[in-house]
Amino acid sequence: MYALIISLFILPVAVSVLVLILPKNLSRILVIASAAILSVISFYLLVSIEEPFHFGVSHYMNEVVSVADILLLLYFGSVAIRKKSWLVGLLTVLQFGALLYLLKIIPEEYQAQFTVDKLSVFMFLLINVISGIISIFSLQYIDGEDCSAFRKKYFLSILFWFIAVMNIIVSSDNMECFFLFFELTTLASFLFIGFRKDEISGKNALTALWMNQIGGLAILGAIFFIIHNGYGTATFSNLLAHSSVPGILLPLALLCVAALVKGAQMPFSKWLLGAMVAPTPVSALLHSSTMVKIAPFIILRLSPALKGTPVASVVIAMTGFVFVAAAIGALSQDNFKRILAHSTIALLALMIMMAAVGTPVTIIAALTLVFFHGLSKCMLFLNAGILERIFHFKQTSDMDKLAETGPFTSLVISIGFMSLLLPPFGAFMGKWFGIESLGVLAINQKMLGAFVIVAIACGGAILSLLYFKVLGLLIARTGDHDGVKFEKTKPLYSATISILLGLIILSVLSYPFLMSHYFVPVASQTLSLPIEVTIYGWKLHVGAMALPVVPLLIAFLLLPITIITATFIRFKNVDRVKEYACGEKTNYSFSSFYFATDRATPYFSVIGILFFITLIVVSIL
Amino acid sequence: MKDILIPVLLILLAPAIGGLVYGFERIVKARMQRRTGPPLLQPFYDFLKLADKRKMIVHSTHAFLGIMHFVSLWFALAVLLLGGDLILVIFLHLLSTSLLILAGYSTRSIFSHLGANRTAISILCYEPVLILIAVSAFMLTGSFDTSSIFNYGASLLFKMPLAFVALLMVLPIKLKKSPFDIAEGHQEITGGVELEFSGIFYEAIYIAKWLDCVFCYTLAYLFGANDPLLGMGLVLFVFLFINGLDNSSARVNYKQMLKFSLVVALPIAFINLLITILFLQL
Amino acid sequence: MKLNSFRKKSPWILHYNAGSCNGCDIEILACLAPKYDIERFGIINTGNPKQSDVLLVTGPVTKRSRERLVEIYAQMPEPKVVVSCGACACTGGVFRGMYNCEGGIDQYIPVDVYVCGCGSRPEQIIDGVIEALAILEKKTKDLEQSIRLKKEPVKEDTQLNRRDIAAEIKEIA
Repeated sequence: MYALIISLFILPVAVSVLVLILPKNLSRILVIASAAILSVISFYLLVSIEEPFHFGVSHYMNEVVSVADILLLLYFGSVAIRKKSWLVGLLTVLQFGALLYLLKIIPEEYQAQFTVDKLSVFMFLLINVISGIISIFSLQYIDGEDCSAFRKKYFLSILFWFIAVMNIIVSSDNMECFFLFFELTTLASFLFIGFRKDEISGKNALTALWMNQIGGLAILGAIFFIIHNGYGTATFSNLLAHSSVPGILLPLALLCVAALVKGAQMPFSKWLLGAMVAPTPVSALLHSSTMVKIAPFIILRLSPALKGTPVASVVIAMTGFVFVAAAIGALSQDNFKRILAHSTIALLALMIMMAAVGTPVTIIAALTLVFFHGLSKCMLFLNAGILERIFHFKQTSDMDKLAETGPFTSLVISIGFMSLLLPPFGAFMGKWFGIESLGVLAINQKMLGAFVIVAIACGGAILSLLYFKVLGLLIARTGDHDGVKFEKTKPLYSATISILLGLIILSVLSYPFLMSHYFVPVASQTLSLPIEVTIYGWKLHVGAMALPVVPLLIAFLLLPITIITATFIRFKNVDRVKEYACGEKTNYSFSSFYFATDRATPYFSVIGILFFITLIVVSIL
Repeated sequence: MKDILIPVLLILLAPAIGGLVYGFERIVKARMQRRTGPPLLQPFYDFLKLADKRKMIVHSTHAFLGIMHFVSLWFALAVLLLGGDLILVIFLHLLSTSLLILAGYSTRSIFSHLGANRTAISILCYEPVLILIAVSAFMLTGSFDTSSIFNYGASLLFKMPLAFVALLMVLPIKLKKSPFDIAEGHQEITGGVELEFSGIFYEAIYIAKWLDCVFCYTLAYLFGANDPLLGMGLVLFVFLFINGLDNSSARVNYKQMLKFSLVVALPIAFINLLITILFLQL
Repeated sequence: MKLNSFRKKSPWILHYNAGSCNGCDIEILACLAPKYDIERFGIINTGNPKQSDVLLVTGPVTKRSRERLVEIYAQMPEPKVVVSCGACACTGGVFRGMYNCEGGIDQYIPVDVYVCGCGSRPEQIIDGVIEALAILEKKTKDLEQSIRLKKEPVKEDTQLNRRDIAAEIKEIA
C-alpha cells in the first residue's frame, strides 16, 4: 500500500525528468504507458483502501520541505524583480517573513505527514485518469505549437511534475507541506499561463501568481493561528479533532479563503479567466478538471468542522452569489474557452456551497459534481483544443457551420454541454440533490436556505440559457447536409475524446451503482457518519432523501439517445424543403444572441470583496 | 388499484383531454369577441387533416427533435400525474422544452431562430418561479412528491396564496398566451419554433401544445388537491383568467417580460417561501 | 380510413400579396375579423406556407414578387388549393400588359378558383374558399404540374428536393 502511494508521487516526477532526456518517440511511449500505470494504480487504491492510512516519511523530509519553501519563495522574489511587479514582491516578502517566523515557532514533534483516506483516493482517481488522458492528448497538441523542440519537452515535463504535486497535495495532512504544494500548483499555473511568452500571457500569469499567493498567505496565517492558539501541530486531522474549540473559526476561515482563491471565486475570478491564454490542455487540466478542484477538496476536508458555523454560512451565501454572478458574466462572452471558464467558476461555487452545507446528501452532491464536472469539462476543453488546431477558430459565433464540417466534434461538444446541464446527466443530479437537500437545510438555517434556493434556481436557469446559446450553434445545419459523415481528426485526438466520452456515458449509466459504492463511502468517511443507501420501490433512499431512479433512467434513454439519434436519423420518402424566409432565396448566416452583462463585473467584484471581509470579520467575532 | 388506474387513464387520455380543452378555449375566446367560433372538436379535425398531408421536412434532425419534444413532454406529464417528484417534473419539462429549442436552432431559418431565442428567455422567466413554488410546497408537506400534496391536510391555496398568485403570473408565459406570447408571436414571427414543421411532423408540436395545457392546469389543480371541487374551481378560474388576459392584452417585448418575471413574479414567490418557512412550517 | 373529409373541416389559409393595391387584402382580413368570423369553419390565417392548405393570392404578380410566389407555393405541402382573389390576380386587371406586371397568377402556379371583383367582397371570398374546399377534398397528394414548377426527384431516395424546385424564373418567350 505504502509503496503504491509513494509510487504515485515518484513515478510522475521520474517521467517528468525522463521526458526531457529521451528522444521523441520513446517519450511518447513512456507518456502513454505511465498514464495507464497511474490510472491503474489509483483504481487499485480505490478498491483497496478502507480505513484512513496514515504514514510519515523520514523527518529529513521536513527540512527538505522547509528548504523547498524558501527556494520557491526566492524564485517568486526573482520573478517579482524581473517583471517589476510590486504586488508579487510584497506578497512574497510577507510570505517569506511569515514562513521564517513559523519555522522558528513550529514545535519539534513530528507526526505522520500524510493521510490517505477515501477522499484522497477519490481525488487520486480523478487526477490520474484525467491527467493521463490530457497528457496523451497534449502529445499531439504540443506538436502543433509554434515553439522550440526543447520547450515542447519542457511542457510535457511540467505536466507530469504537476501530476505528482497534485497527488501529494490531496494526501498531505501536514499544513506546512500542504502550503508548499499549494504554492507549487500556483507555480505550475504561473509557468503554464506564461508558456506562450507573449505580452498578454505574461500579464495574466502575473495576475494568477499574485492572486494565488494570497491563498498561500492565508494558509500560513491559518498555521500561525493554530500554533498560536495552542491546538498543537498544524495538521488537518488535528484541526478536525479540535473542531468544537472556540477560536478555531479563524484558521478555518483562513483555509476557506485559500480555497476560495484557488477556486477563483469573485473577485479572484480574474485569474482563471486570464488563464485561458494558456495552451488548451493546460486549461483542461489545471483550470477546470483538477487544480481548481483543490477548492472543493479543502472545504470537503474541513466540512465536519465547518458545518453549521457562521463561517460556513458566509461561504454558502458567497458561493450562492458567485453562482449567479458567474452565470450572468458568461452570457456576454463569445470566446469558447472563456465561456467554459465562466461556467467552471459557477459550478465550482456550487460544489463549494454543497461541501460547506455539510449534510450527508450535500457532500454526496459535491462529490458527484466534482467527478462529473471533471470529466465533462475536460472533454469540452480538449474539444476546444481540437477546434483551435483543426478547425481554426476560437469564437462560438464561428461554430455555426461545425455541424456540417465536423459532425463528430459537434456531437461530442453537445454531449459535453448537455452533461453539464440537463437531466439525467451527473451534474444535473448534483444540482438537483442540492435543491432537494437545501430544502432540508432551510429548516435549520431558514433565511440563508431560502436565499440559496433562489440563487440556485436563477443561476441554473441562466446557465441553461448560456448552454442553449452554444448548443444551438452546434446543431444548426441546412437541409443539404442531411446525411452525416464523421470527419477524420488526428488519431490521438479521437482516441482521447472517445475514451472520455465512453467514461462519461458509462458513469452516467452506472450512476446508482457509483453512488452507493463510490460516492457514499467517501462521504461517510469524510463525515465519519454512516450513510444508509437503500433501494425501495422506484426510489433510491440516501439518508432522509429519496431519489426516483426509474423516471431518471427513462429520462436518460430520452435525452442523449435523442440527440445521438437526431444526428444520424434520416427519414425516407419525405420531401426536403427550404426554410421559410418569406419566399426569399437568400442564405442567411446566424449568430447567437448577445447580452451586454459585462458592465456588471466591477459591481460583482466589489460584492465579492465585501463577502471576503465578512468572512474574516465573522470568524474573529 | 384505483389509485393507479385513474392517473394511468389520465395519462393515456391526456392528449384527448388537452385537445378538448384547446377546442373549448377557442370557443371561449370567440364568445369573448362575440363570434360563434369553431366547433368543439376543431383541434381533432386539424389533427386528422394534418395526418393526411404530404410529408415534408427541412432536415431529419429537426423533424426528429420535434417528435421527441412531444414524447418527453408526455413523459414529464406522466411523472406529474403519477405523483412523482415535483423538482424532477420541472426539470423534465425543461428537458422537453430544450428539445424544442434545439429543434428551433437546428435549422437556418430566421423565425425559427428568433422563436428558439425567445423560448430560451422564457425558460429563464418561469423556471425559477416554479422551483420556488415547489420548494415552498415541500416546506409545507415535507416531501417533494406530488402525491404528498394530495395527502396533505389542507389546501395549498389557503396556506400559500402568494404562490398561487406567482403561478398565475408565469402560466401565461408557459402557455404562450398574450401578453407573454413572445415565443410564438403569430403576427410577428409566424409561430417561432413551430414554423418549420409541417404535416405529420407539425402534429407532434400541435399535440404537445395540448399536453402543455393539461400540464399547466394540473399545476393549478395541485393548489386545491385535497378538495376536488376546489381544485376544479381553481382550474376553471385559471382557464378563464388566462383566456381573458389573452384576449384583452397586447404583446410585450422580451425585456419587459423578463423584467416582469424577475422583478414581480420571482419576489412574490420568494416572499411566499419566506412566509412558509418562517410561519407555517411543520 | 379516408381522411379526405377532414380537409374541408380545417382549411388553414395562407394569404399572399403579389403586388396588390391592398383593396382585396383588407377584404380578406375583414373575413377573418369577428363580423364574418370564418374561424367558425375552422379556418385559421396561418401566415406560414408549411402548414396551410389554401393559398389566397391577391395582386397582378409584379416581376419582383413572382419568384417568391412560386417559392411559397412550392413550400406548401400537397393537397393544396389556390384561390386567386380579385380581378388583378385572375387576369392582371387594370395592370394587364404593363411593363412590370404579369397577367394573373395562373401563369406561374395552377389556380383552382377565381374570385372576381375589384376588391372582391368578403361574401365572395368566403364563397370562393368554400368552393375551393370542395376541390381540396378530391385532390390527391401528388405534386401538381404548373408551368414553372420543375419535378426533379433526388437520385438515392424517392423524395423530392423542393429546395431548388422553384428555381429562377426566366422570361416567358
